[in-house]
Amino acid sequence: MEQKNIRNFSIIAHIDHGKSTLADRILEETKAITKRELQDQMLDSMDIERERGITIKLNTVRLTYNYQGVDYILNLIDTPGHVDFSYEVSRSLAASDGAILVVDATQGVEAQTIANMYLALDNDLEIIPVINKIDLPSADILKVKKELIDTFGFKEEEIILTSAKTGEGIKELIQAIIERIKPPKGDKAKPLKSLIFDSLYDSYRGVLTLTRVFDGELKVGDKIKFMQTNSLYDVTELFVYTPNFLKVNSLSVGEVGYVVASIKNISDVKVGDTITCFNNPADAPLPGYKPMQQVVFTGLYPTESNKYNDLREALEKLKLNDGGFSFEPETSEALGFGFRCGFLGLLHMDVIEERLEREFNLNLIATSPSVIYEVLLTDESIMMIDSPQKLPAPTKIKTISEPYILTHIFTPSEYIGPLMELCQNKRGTYKSIEYITPERAILYYELPLSEIVYDFFDKLKSISKGYASFDYELIGYKANNLVKMDILVNGEIVDALSVIVHKDFAYNRGKVIVNNLKKMIPRQMFVVPIQAAIGSKIIARSDIKAMRKDVLAKCYGGDVSRKKKLLEKQKEGKKRMKQIGSVEIPQEAFLAVLSNEEIDD
Amino acid sequence: MTNSVYLHIPFCSSLCTYCSFTKFFYNEKMVYSYLNSLLREIKTKYRGEIIKTIYIGGGTPSCLSVKELEYLFKIIKIFNFDANIEFTMEVNPESLTLEKLKLMQENKVNRISMGVESTILKNLKYLGRNHDFSLVKEKMQLIREVGITNINIDLIYALKDQTLKDLKMDILNILSLKPTHISTYSLEIYPQTILGIKQEKNISEDLDFQMYELICQELKKHGFMHYEISNFSKPGYQSRHNLVYWNNENYYGFGLSAASYIENIRRTNTSSLKKYLAGNFLGEEEVLTKKDILSYALILGFRKIEGINKNMFFKKYGVNLLDLYNIKDLLKKGLLKENAFNIYIPCDKIYIENSILINFVGE
Repeated sequence: MEQKNIRNFSIIAHIDHGKSTLADRILEETKAITKRELQDQMLDSMDIERERGITIKLNTVRLTYNYQGVDYILNLIDTPGHVDFSYEVSRSLAASDGAILVVDATQGVEAQTIANMYLALDNDLEIIPVINKIDLPSADILKVKKELIDTFGFKEEEIILTSAKTGEGIKELIQAIIERIKPPKGDKAKPLKSLIFDSLYDSYRGVLTLTRVFDGELKVGDKIKFMQTNSLYDVTELFVYTPNFLKVNSLSVGEVGYVVASIKNISDVKVGDTITCFNNPADAPLPGYKPMQQVVFTGLYPTESNKYNDLREALEKLKLNDGGFSFEPETSEALGFGFRCGFLGLLHMDVIEERLEREFNLNLIATSPSVIYEVLLTDESIMMIDSPQKLPAPTKIKTISEPYILTHIFTPSEYIGPLMELCQNKRGTYKSIEYITPERAILYYELPLSEIVYDFFDKLKSISKGYASFDYELIGYKANNLVKMDILVNGEIVDALSVIVHKDFAYNRGKVIVNNLKKMIPRQMFVVPIQAAIGSKIIARSDIKAMRKDVLAKCYGGDVSRKKKLLEKQKEGKKRMKQIGSVEIPQEAFLAVLSNEEIDD
Repeated sequence: MTNSVYLHIPFCSSLCTYCSFTKFFYNEKMVYSYLNSLLREIKTKYRGEIIKTIYIGGGTPSCLSVKELEYLFKIIKIFNFDANIEFTMEVNPESLTLEKLKLMQENKVNRISMGVESTILKNLKYLGRNHDFSLVKEKMQLIREVGITNINIDLIYALKDQTLKDLKMDILNILSLKPTHISTYSLEIYPQTILGIKQEKNISEDLDFQMYELICQELKKHGFMHYEISNFSKPGYQSRHNLVYWNNENYYGFGLSAASYIENIRRTNTSSLKKYLAGNFLGEEEVLTKKDILSYALILGFRKIEGINKNMFFKKYGVNLLDLYNIKDLLKKGLLKENAFNIYIPCDKIYIENSILINFVGE
């Protein structure tokens, strides 16, 4: 295929604006799949993605389309929609030459519409604005058009109207992709430069590296070099995904495909690295892309300590196609051996935990998430810590600073009041309000990142009945009166439950945490005191009463098999708990510190 | 050797709100087919051993008509009775008549277990029982009239809105009947029962425990021995049949959903009446390994207040009780106690014994 007949594009959107369904419709229109084959959201391959209706991992599919007698290759590079995954979005965008910006006709421009749009502009992409879901009765096309024009300066005639449900506008959209998005630049004669933007692990073939060629040509049999890791491999196979794996002999400028090179060592493949030819290497690698920023850290521990190696293997495998998270070994007195893991955000953390449990069949305990604190010590040196356990003794600390974010909250104007109250309660500082239209505004607040790590998102959604959306950027550190609060169970500090809190909020947080723990930890054979302490000072206490009844009173008609089964079940249940001292603590209890409110009985 | 028999009669004339056992509305046509199936099952399985205890449970065995009871007793004649047999029949106050009682007595029933459950009308209604305490007194009279003196009374406690005062009244009322044996059960609400469907909740475990303590105290005060978690008797009147279960001995189980333990196999019959009538008796079967046998010996034996006799255990299983599982460790922790003869769960831990027994099951 000639270079001028290739188009590489992504689809970007706010979560739930119909990106994946639109992608499916494009697949159908280009006959990549028939309607019969079309599973809902073809490109979302993980169960979690389909269940939650979100795209997490990017997927890439090569389509062919005949337009005005000429065959084109369209490489559709799917992107996730959630703010946590902007790293993945930037990976997709780095491999694209254009982007379709999808906006829901019933919702309008939202926080991540803007965030993703800026990412696309950073990458110098041609952008095609699309208003989707125009079939819905509540669609307000005129209003959304005006928002697109006012917010981004599009011209009205640039905007394409589609319904991924009925298929309306899909042909026009594909034509626009061919007409407006520029073919890939690059020179086939130059030394090979190919960007790695994703990888998969296959137990037979080893690591599959997803790459886009920018210069030169990649051929089966080539000896290749990964420029960052300096590792060398022989290309054994090349594939494009159509969405079936199709073997090819070479990938040329602008083409996207998978490289198989018997790579067994996962750490050799770094997403963002450049592949070049060993015999005719490029002088410099491609300029990667916006690096990821891990903002949330948590300890992950296997419930059963003999599963530590399984957890490590699982993390390595996930890391292979998710450059967005990191892990390193960590030990907790309470939980034993585990890993400190860094995530791009809360949803990202959730998704990884869920994948570990589901895909790798692991029972995990996650400790309370933490941000990175900057600790100024009395000797004027600075220490960065991502876990309350790593905080030095108070006498050695001069100040503790925490990361702050600037949030942009998109909301219908009627919720501004309650949302401001929410931000105030989260130690926020008001910055400004900007009205996009009289009914819609952006509220700017500065907030400590640690405050949104807890229940900010849920609160925001419930206050605004789901209408508000938010995005944030990190703006730096501020010193605050922060202290470490320990939780003692039966007189012993459970290191995994310690949190760093603002001193003024410590008493309330402590009370909530001990009360929640009291409700989540089942009664034991003795009274168990739960205490919150700052240093040696106890600031809250709640006692779990001793168990009074745990018996099968009725043992009737000789059916004792049932009794044994019940005991076995009870024993299984206990296995999922963590023994700390002589107290058994269920997994969920380690998240009790997450909630700012008391849970119901 | 198998010297005990349990027989299940799955018919009732009304349904109790808490009952999770296999039962059906009493239906004349069904009863004979059922009894014929029962006969078939006994004929195929019974090997002619001497039978020392029989227990007819339900359902409500006393809701059968005199004719049907006659047929049932005719079937039971197959068994080779020991001269000193304990033969228990469950009855409820409503269906019990002098005629039926005479029939029972003539057929060697020498122990009656009556489902009194409560003596307070409000609580009886909650449980779906249609009798009152005066009827109970009347029927006790009849039982004694035919010469049966070994009588068990069932009591259910931990009912919604029940107070300790209510319970004390129940206890005193029951004691006034002068039974030889009292079985008490803390109400458990199972999902497939009427109470479960109504989503009734259990009372707090603290009150439940206080009720249990009250029962233990009051019954001891009145000369009852506490010999198993939920069972109390006058000296010499322990239920020999139930001790068979708790001593991990063999027993036949005939009838719908009945359980048996014979030669290292525990079986539970089907609970499908259709299958049972068609002669497909078996539901589930568990073939026990040596380890399973020991596991059962412990979880059953520790139900007895006196615990497990070390010598007898060694004689029966060829292993030293102290060497099993983490028994030594549990003794050290005070979760088990030991005297010259026995190892047992201490009194104050008996009501939380599951936490101890789980040490003896599974991996």
